[in-house]
Order: sequence, then structure tokens, then C-alpha cells
Amino acid sequence: MSVRILVRSFSELCLTVGTLIVLFVVYLLYWTGVKADSAASDQISGLQQQWAQSPAPRPPAAPRQPPVPAAYTEGRSFAVMYVPRLGKDWHKPVLEGTAVKDLQKGLGHYDGTTRLGQPGNFSVAGHRRTYGDPFKDFPELRPGDAVVLRDDTTWYTYRLDTRPFRTVPSDVGVIDPVPAESPFRSPGRYLTLTTCDPEWGSSHRLIVWGHLDSTQPVAQGRPTALDG
Amino acid sequence: MYGWIWRHLPGNAWLRAFISLAMVLVIVYVLFQYVFPWAEPLLPFNDVTVDQGMGTAVR
Repeated sequence: MSVRILVRSFSELCLTVGTLIVLFVVYLLYWTGVKADSAASDQISGLQQQWAQSPAPRPPAAPRQPPVPAAYTEGRSFAVMYVPRLGKDWHKPVLEGTAVKDLQKGLGHYDGTTRLGQPGNFSVAGHRRTYGDPFKDFPELRPGDAVVLRDDTTWYTYRLDTRPFRTVPSDVGVIDPVPAESPFRSPGRYLTLTTCDPEWGSSHRLIVWGHLDSTQPVAQGRPTALDG
Repeated sequence: MYGWIWRHLPGNAWLRAFISLAMVLVIVYVLFQYVFPWAEPLLPFNDVTVDQGMGTAVR
């Protein structure tokens, strides 16, 4: 009798644990994507509202340099990133900070790295898998690919200079103003994207570097790099 | 365990089945809303940044 109860309880426990694991996989593969997509579109529509309410000051005639962006607020989105290589319609909000909560809503800008278009290294992290898989196709990135960002006043077009570079998580030098492993040797306006590698793991990181190619005020419309 | 729950539910088989279904839905909701979001950052899929501000890291 007691053996029967023991065996039955054990098999019920196994069934329960198995069901839990399946549910967790569904959560990771499907539900985080649903949540992240809706969070990302909330962020983007919030940004668009904000940009529509405070129209960018008319830029002075033929500005040579874009205006310096205002300081970013932790946890708030401040720009939208477009990467044609990752998909024609691929666009994600960029939030200030790389905390777990920021990365669940979009891409995260490493606080402490420079602002958009400014001298230094504008560095952004994103999920490879789960939460909408923003950087799933990260290994497809190639030198010359455009990474376009829009904030309230300006379109910034960065061009990649490297193929994805694999490194270890402790290699914080990759987001230095002039990263030692990058092809850059002198200070400039650079871009760094980071994500995890392997796809489902966290033992390594993938990095790409780029430089600022051009900027244009939003009044002049979308940059041509997005049409390619 | 499940047999014990079944025996302690009130009503006939239909009512019991309905209550069981409701309980399953509540449990799934609690898991998706509270338990999994808590557990998920503890797993490694999420680490996409280079470690900043860790004790030994420079910067």
C-alpha cells in the first residue's frame, strides 16, 4: 500500500516538473517575445508622441554638426535604431541603461558611454534570444552595413567596420572610447553593439564596431541608407 | 496528490472538472506573471552586456 502511494507520488511529481519545464520553455520562446514586442512598440509610440509634441527647433541653415543630445534618463527610451541588414522593418527602441528591465523593452545604451553622434563610443547591448530576439541575426552583420539611429532632432547613420568579433564577458575594453581590439587607432565618433554568444549561452559576447558616417536633421527626411 | 485534490473538490464530476480547469489556469497565470519573470534573469540567456561595474572590472 505505502509503496503504491510512494510510486504514485513520485510519478505525479515527475509529471508536474515536466509540465513546469515545458511551460517555462513556452514562456521563454514565445511569451517573452510577445511581451517585448508590445513593450517595444509602446516605447516607440511614446517616443513618436514625445517628438511630435516638441517639434525639433528649426536647425540653423546648413548645420555642420548635429546638436548635442540632452542627457539621457535612466530607463527611458531616447532613440530608435534601424539596421537594414537585420530586416527591412527591423527597428527597436534604445533605452538608457543596460539593466535587465531596460533590455526587456528594447536595446540598452551603456550609461557612461557617449551620446549619439558625439565623440567617443556610443555602445548598445541587445538580446540575441528571448525578448523578441532583437539581435538574433547579429552574425550576419558585415563591414559597410548601416546602423541608423533617430532621436528627436537628428538621423545618425553609422557604418560598421568589422565583422562580429567574439570575446569574453569580462572584456569591458570593447566599449572604451577607442577600443584596443577595434580597427580604430585615434579618437572618433564610434558605435559598438554587443550581444551574447553562443545563441542560447552566455559564455562569450559578440561585438561589432562602426563609425559615424553622416547625420541629417529629421526635417530632411529618412536617410538614404534606409532605402538600400 | 492529484487524486487527493480531486476527492476533496465539491460537487459532481463536471463541477470538479471545471474547478480543476480554473485552478490550472490560475496556476499558469501566476507562473507566467510572477514566477517565470523572477526565475528567468537567474538563467544565462540574458547576459548580453560586457560586465561593467563589477568589483574587479576596470572602469
